[in-house]
Amino acid sequence: MKRPVAVVGVGQTHHTSKRADVNVAEMVREAVDRALLDAGLEHDDIDAIVLGKAPDPLEGIMQPEQYLAGALGAHLKPIIRVHTAGSVGCTTALTAATHVASGLYGRILTIAFEKQSEGNAMWALSPNYAFTQPMVAGAGGFFAPYCRAYIARSGAPGHIGAVVAANARENAGRNEYAHLRDPMTVEEALNSMMLWEPIRFLETCPSSDGAIALVMANEDHARRGPRKPAWLKAGATFTEPMYVPGRDQVSPLAGRTCAKWVYDKAGIRDPWNEIQVAEIYVPFSWYEPMWLENLGFAPLNEGWKVVDRGDQKMGRHLPINPSGGVLNTNPIGASGMLRFGEAALQVMGRAGEHQVGGVKTALGHAYGGGAQYFSIGILAAEL
Amino acid sequence: MSEPPKERVKYIDTNLNLPYHYYAGDYKALYLRALKDKKILGSRCSKSGKVFVPPVIASPETLAPCDELVELPHRGIVTTFCVVNVPVYGREIEIPYVVASVALDGADVSLYSLIQECAAADVHMGIRVEAVWKPDGERQGDHTDIRYFRPTGEPDAPFESFIHRL
Amino acid sequence: MTKLRNVAVVGFAQAPIVAADEHHTGPEMLYPVVQAALESAGLERSDVDYQCAGSSDYVDGRAFSFSQVLEVMGAWPPVQDSHVEMDAIWAAHLVWVKMQAGESEVAIVCGFGKTSEGSPSHVLNLQLEPFYAAAIGLDPTSTAALQASAYMARSGADDRALAEIASKNRAAGAKNPDGQLREAATPEELMATPWAVKPLREGYLAPIGETATCMVLAVEGRAEKICDRPAWIHGVDHRIELQALGSRDLSRSESTTLAARNAFEMAGLASASAADVVELGSTNPAEELILRDALGLPASARAQGGPAINPSGSAQCANPLMNTGLLRLAEGFRQLSGRAGERGVPGAKRAVVHASAGHGLQQNIVWVLGTERRWS
Repeated sequence: MKRPVAVVGVGQTHHTSKRADVNVAEMVREAVDRALLDAGLEHDDIDAIVLGKAPDPLEGIMQPEQYLAGALGAHLKPIIRVHTAGSVGCTTALTAATHVASGLYGRILTIAFEKQSEGNAMWALSPNYAFTQPMVAGAGGFFAPYCRAYIARSGAPGHIGAVVAANARENAGRNEYAHLRDPMTVEEALNSMMLWEPIRFLETCPSSDGAIALVMANEDHARRGPRKPAWLKAGATFTEPMYVPGRDQVSPLAGRTCAKWVYDKAGIRDPWNEIQVAEIYVPFSWYEPMWLENLGFAPLNEGWKVVDRGDQKMGRHLPINPSGGVLNTNPIGASGMLRFGEAALQVMGRAGEHQVGGVKTALGHAYGGGAQYFSIGILAAEL
Repeated sequence: MSEPPKERVKYIDTNLNLPYHYYAGDYKALYLRALKDKKILGSRCSKSGKVFVPPVIASPETLAPCDELVELPHRGIVTTFCVVNVPVYGREIEIPYVVASVALDGADVSLYSLIQECAAADVHMGIRVEAVWKPDGERQGDHTDIRYFRPTGEPDAPFESFIHRL
Repeated sequence: MTKLRNVAVVGFAQAPIVAADEHHTGPEMLYPVVQAALESAGLERSDVDYQCAGSSDYVDGRAFSFSQVLEVMGAWPPVQDSHVEMDAIWAAHLVWVKMQAGESEVAIVCGFGKTSEGSPSHVLNLQLEPFYAAAIGLDPTSTAALQASAYMARSGADDRALAEIASKNRAAGAKNPDGQLREAATPEELMATPWAVKPLREGYLAPIGETATCMVLAVEGRAEKICDRPAWIHGVDHRIELQALGSRDLSRSESTTLAARNAFEMAGLASASAADVVELGSTNPAEELILRDALGLPASARAQGGPAINPSGSAQCANPLMNTGLLRLAEGFRQLSGRAGERGVPGAKRAVVHASAGHGLQQNIVWVLGTERRWS
């Protein structure tokens, strides 16, 4: 970063399938208030606001940041709205970081949300447009064939998806904000209904309502804040088109490029040994081994071996998604910022019951579109 | 007479009804018109020679124009697929059904399509398939003109031939 | 004011602004535009290190509409990329911030919005607060009319004052080959048109059109090699207000005033009157009068002297959603770089550019451009 940038406040709502007690503005305000309180700040301290969410048709409000200006405390402030598909939450946080790194803004409030219960996501995400090839079966139907290709090309045994899901659920049980927290065994996951073969029901993310807000600040403000900041060592977004002949949809080049870029910027040569915890975007359990490879944590076709050995569990070599991840909490637009925010909490040492010991460096990751949009942030305890 | 509500109002249900009138674009219209004539058109990149189906005006890989239309065979390979057991809102297909990436012979990107006339369990990566069309007189020039693909019984394509072109 | 990095607009291309392009999809409209913008700047796609688009899923009637244009913007091998669900002028702002942060040197900004495929008055209703405002069916014309009424009541401006502003823009728009509405009209002719929503007449309203746009921005060191006459960014700021029409003084644009004050301070520009050209994002004459008021410009079309206001005909003569704002910035570039043709303001050295978003001028951005570098 040209100028140091830190996360100095984190606030999230409890995530659930239906927040019928609040409207969109009230839900968003809940996360904003918690983030400001966490940072020891008032609205007046905020120089600009960066908001991200997934497609507007999910709630039926166009450019909702306009309607939410009041709830966000944005009156007479700059606000921008980012939308980069599923990666948007992480990209929004990185956009806020860019604002701070520019030197033009000292403290930025950044927020991402989704209130999935207010619309029909399956409809919003796979409508039948004339002339374009139909998506046929929502996000699961789109991504399942690539999970199958991963299994075929890596030789991964069939139980890996269920192992990922059960571990994620065990982790979510320690995260008071997670949506799905009931205990679940590998057998239960394996015996759950096959929705989009090879993806089973319990290997699939839920639809959640929820929001997360962060306060990001420059070095001066960060050092004066009430809490230990999480420093952003590097962040980037890389994107690729859908219809490139021979594009590797299983381990997309944009993801590999993005990972290499942030590791280079952060001075990381061996991510497996230099990063202590990673929050990665896994909406379907097979994506965990796939992203372990794409992110350079495992050699090609060997991501599943990390899972098989259990090296991604709490207390082991590299805990993945101690929060329980997207598999247990998925307010779509917010999911990427939750990964980034959870990585920040880990380096701050404030992740509560799901805190990993001795975290110096953490990775937050999100992806979106047809595995086209990648966004990664590296957070560190020391500048 | 309606009773006063017993619970306070928590939400309102509404359907947003927005009219849209999508243009296919002249180039894609040629492709759609050809479907009506039981032909599958692709476009060839003027720089790389690679073939896109449905046709695109420019290659996302080279950004060069793809101004040559080519007719493609109706056969190809299932490169990967999934078996869907979830009913989709607004779509009437009997479950389970198979959705596959089909790499047509001579094309460099795949189409998504249904695979039918066989048990879902018989579909596998590399199986050869052919298009099954709506009968003459019923085709309207849209993606449903190809009802689905079905296995041809030809030998499977070797794994290495398609795993990097899903 | 601290010293910032000099950044300039160095290239621009657009598709013709039309009511409906029935022959091309949105990405197909954008493809030749990106090619033309790069060509005008003498750049290969690989010279560009960042790209950002501005568009709306609801305008295009499809979720993730922006992902379609990756296919034509040139994203292979993978590129650093972002997208704002806003008018593309905010994408340009993000690029400028990115360049201040040292994260980009040459970038492209793309705008697109296939307005003819949907019903903009229905679509834009969905921007409003859902329970009360959207539910009663307000559309942008009705909220603009409420705002016009508030302004007329406060200022005493009458129907003729609006007609004169509108007529002035129509005369300018007639000379703009890149515009959409290109027929001049006298105030009397416009005053004879029926009420759209009183006090706004049909003759006062911008036609909603569609286009695709691509702008090239570059930092000092690159900009002057790419463009013979770059338009340097001297200052910029943007601000939003509360949406609810009853919660703000609709007769004024407080956010424009504030954004302008900050942009002018950054630019070292005393006031909008000190510029040579002013380009406003107003889509009707009442909005223009409110913006003139907010910027300290004369409240009458007849005022003499001062900067040329809206030599392009302004957004009143072409309102291709999601591109309307970026076209204002493009007009500033064209004016300062000798690319404005017949409508060019001779010797123009500094331009003030404004754009707006939301109902009743809710969100506003103000730029100052100059022919010389701002910081040495």
